[in-house]
Amino acid sequence: MVVIVAILAGILAAWAGYRSARGYPVLSDDLLAAGVVELVVLVQVVVVIVLVARHGAADPGLLWGYLGAGLVLLPFAGLWAFAERTRWSSVILMMAALSLVVVEWRLTQIWGG
Amino acid sequence: MAAETTADRDESIAAGGSAEVRGEPARTGSGPGRALVAVYGLFALAASARAGVQISRNFQEAPVAYALSAFSAVVYLVATVALARGRGLARAVAWVTISTELLGVLAVGTFSILRPEDFPRATVWSGYGQGYGYVPLVLPILGLIWLWRTRRAG
Repeated sequence: MVVIVAILAGILAAWAGYRSARGYPVLSDDLLAAGVVELVVLVQVVVVIVLVARHGAADPGLLWGYLGAGLVLLPFAGLWAFAERTRWSSVILMMAALSLVVVEWRLTQIWGG
Repeated sequence: MAAETTADRDESIAAGGSAEVRGEPARTGSGPGRALVAVYGLFALAASARAGVQISRNFQEAPVAYALSAFSAVVYLVATVALARGRGLARAVAWVTISTELLGVLAVGTFSILRPEDFPRATVWSGYGQGYGYVPLVLPILGLIWLWRTRRAG
């Protein structure tokens, strides 16, 4: 699950990077792509809730912290980027997607304990 | 087509074109600055979360490092807001906080390497921001360059 989100976020980051290099702003199709990734993140949160309810977590505080951060990253970046649609909005989206990759990577570490 | 025109407008903002007319400092919260504010926001979140966890769990374990974590979190928060506003007083606040940030990362980075025994637990600024891909070291430099470039666009 984590791997899927990380890969999707990586693709989104690469796409947004390409768009910013070409000087395009964030458009509705970028937001749609980000929305799809966000949906997968939501599914992941639900899956983790179920898993923790069943098995417990090594470090629940950290786990929820990172999950919550991962959840709000893209919506905030989307709002901030869409309010000013220049090439830099694509940069913002790219950085948010990259941060999501980092968050997912940390999640695997925390899960492993 | 619409993409091209917004990109052009962006270029003129980056060059200080729009503010030149008014002779005021360019806005720090738009163009590349907008991306900068986003990174600052991210670090404000990361540093606050880190400080929150460290202090709520075991403050006595490494009070100096944890107090520094909290301090850096506040600096990032204030710098984010100041950069986003970017006019008048906020601009001065941005200069002060970002300079503090640069001094902080240099000082803490140097001390954490020279006297690791004083820093049993890491802060955002340890090892010049090593744990965060050295972004904490690069960020204030970019911030100061950006403030300088937008200081007076005329």
